[in-house]
Amino acid sequence: MTETIEKAKSTITGYNGKKLRIMEVCGTHTHEMFRLGIRGLLPESIDLISGPGCPVCVTPVGYIDEAVMLALEKNAVICTFGDLIRVPGTEMSLAGARSRGGDIRPVYSPLDAVEIAKNEPDRQIVFLAVGFETTTPSACIAVKKARKLGLDNFSILAANKTMPNAYKALMSSVDAYLYPGHVNAITGTAVCEEMKKLGVSGVVAGFTASELITAIAVIIEKSKTGEPFFVNCYPRVVTAEGNIPAQKLMAEVMEPCDSEWRGLGVIPMSGMKLRDEYSELDARIKFDLPKISGKANPACRCGDVLQGKCKPSDCKVFGKVCTPQHPVGACMVSTEGACSAYYQYGGAELK
Amino acid sequence: MEKTVTLAHGAGGKQTSELIDTIFKAHFSNPELTADDAAVLDIGGGKIAFTTDGFIVSPFEFPGGNIGKLSICGTVNDLSCMGAKPQYLSCAFVIEEGFPMDKLEEIAAAMEKTAAEAGVKIVAGDTKVAGRGQVDKIFITTTGIGKISENVRTSGAYAKPGDAVIVTGDIGRHGCTILLARDEFGIDAKVTSDCAPLWANVEKMLGVTSDIHVIRDATRGGVGTVLYEIAGQSGTGILLDQEKIPVEPEVRGVCGMLGLEPLYLACEGRLVVVVPKDKADAVLDALRGCKYSENAAVIGEITEENAGKVVMKTAVGTKTLLPQPGGELLPRIC
Repeated sequence: MTETIEKAKSTITGYNGKKLRIMEVCGTHTHEMFRLGIRGLLPESIDLISGPGCPVCVTPVGYIDEAVMLALEKNAVICTFGDLIRVPGTEMSLAGARSRGGDIRPVYSPLDAVEIAKNEPDRQIVFLAVGFETTTPSACIAVKKARKLGLDNFSILAANKTMPNAYKALMSSVDAYLYPGHVNAITGTAVCEEMKKLGVSGVVAGFTASELITAIAVIIEKSKTGEPFFVNCYPRVVTAEGNIPAQKLMAEVMEPCDSEWRGLGVIPMSGMKLRDEYSELDARIKFDLPKISGKANPACRCGDVLQGKCKPSDCKVFGKVCTPQHPVGACMVSTEGACSAYYQYGGAELK
Repeated sequence: MEKTVTLAHGAGGKQTSELIDTIFKAHFSNPELTADDAAVLDIGGGKIAFTTDGFIVSPFEFPGGNIGKLSICGTVNDLSCMGAKPQYLSCAFVIEEGFPMDKLEEIAAAMEKTAAEAGVKIVAGDTKVAGRGQVDKIFITTTGIGKISENVRTSGAYAKPGDAVIVTGDIGRHGCTILLARDEFGIDAKVTSDCAPLWANVEKMLGVTSDIHVIRDATRGGVGTVLYEIAGQSGTGILLDQEKIPVEPEVRGVCGMLGLEPLYLACEGRLVVVVPKDKADAVLDALRGCKYSENAAVIGEITEENAGKVVMKTAVGTKTLLPQPGGELLPRIC
């Protein structure tokens, strides 16, 4: 480890100033903080909150219910990223739907779903489009490809989300954001500058041990001034303007809409839906889905965890009823979810 | 026209003997392998290790080997882990109708070569042909016996606090190879399976000291699963040094892209060895002088605390639990 990193590390371990609430809003950050042992470095005066940065974790119960209905009642083939299959819905998860005869297929890319639609013209194929600005462009590419191929048996169930309004919704629980480097690589950093104007600090962070340590040390040093700040600590990947072709692609195919986040409720203009000119590829319109508002298990505190109001271990069902094998809430399903990471790495109890 | 295996080859008549003569006898020939119903073996006194393993890997050929080589290595290595010199194997084939004869020949040739390298004889066998779709191409089951060297007692239960934990080479290559060979991810990386017979390596270690507490081959579930098993069997903890675990850059890269932990990817030519600390250097020297274990490394130690757990010392000097794998691992890797 280099001298600069050693210095950054001692900045962190030696910090005993006023309580700092740092929120990471990227599931990969959550996971890497544990895996790389960074959490073990933090003194008591630093609270690292795992925010709503895992796409699986923020997907609302009602969305799973919609997908289950498409599979069981509309006889559609559901293509999805594997993580979503075990997320509990009101009645059942997609795994439950599969055991009742639903055709649920894990895919690694939305384009795989387009390929399936091409090869099975007699079936209706629905791709579950979830994720942030990092994954939304690939769903847009799939939509454009399906249109180009003239496929009338492909559609998407969109629950794509964008970060800016979530930052605003959560700003009262946070002193500084650890911005998700991969999202900022697409969006650029204008939103971070805007948050600074609103009085909320932040740094864009990369994903290696030294990048994460550096980012936290920068937050500590800059916080001493008492002024809001923004620093891009991941300049080798993140530029101020971001990935313009990707931004254009998203704007061409999708437009902002209100969106429900599990545990946080509806955040205005924090989601993405297909534009009217692509409405024939919108599964909700195509299958005339009713409005479904799902019911989460009332004992589950995923919502509080995502807002930093409690730690996973404060939840009554954590580690007992709710485990990665039998998840009650979405944060226990994905390996990037806060509850799953707490459970798997069990850092606190080690000697 | 391409020659293939037909249902007639499995019917027990003339074609069956032809198949056995031209492929299996041609490759496996030795005095104990006869046309009789069972092999008659002279194994002398002492303790015998006895094991069996089925192989259903998909795809059946992959960079670094095929199902034939794998089926010999798997059973040879299981015997070797008990400190037993592999002596005799039997093999049973279940082949799908239509399987290309030249591929069967390649598989038999790989078995011959690997068995010769391991110093083991194939003395009994069986061939069945199943109708199209009733089996996926080819499945092989091998069973083996080996003689246990005197004074050698290895078991996951014998790990003791203070012991050193060694792996005999870089980890996760077989699992990674199979993953890429299925071509489901569109990732192009040069990774070859570590599939290898390891009796020579074990023999060399036992030449240095018979005081080896644990030898395990890290197949399905990888090194991580084996370590959790050892911790559970012996009621100890294991402290790993994250930075000392050997992983090829290509394997690390693929794992990074797919969110996999190399410690949970299968190896087919790697051992986890637990020895008293004062013997570790000598054992490591012996291993590094052998083919397939040139990059052996001490990756951690057995501890009294954190019993039943595998803990990682991270690059930043903190400790974190090695998460236990949950749910579905890769199907059909061996």
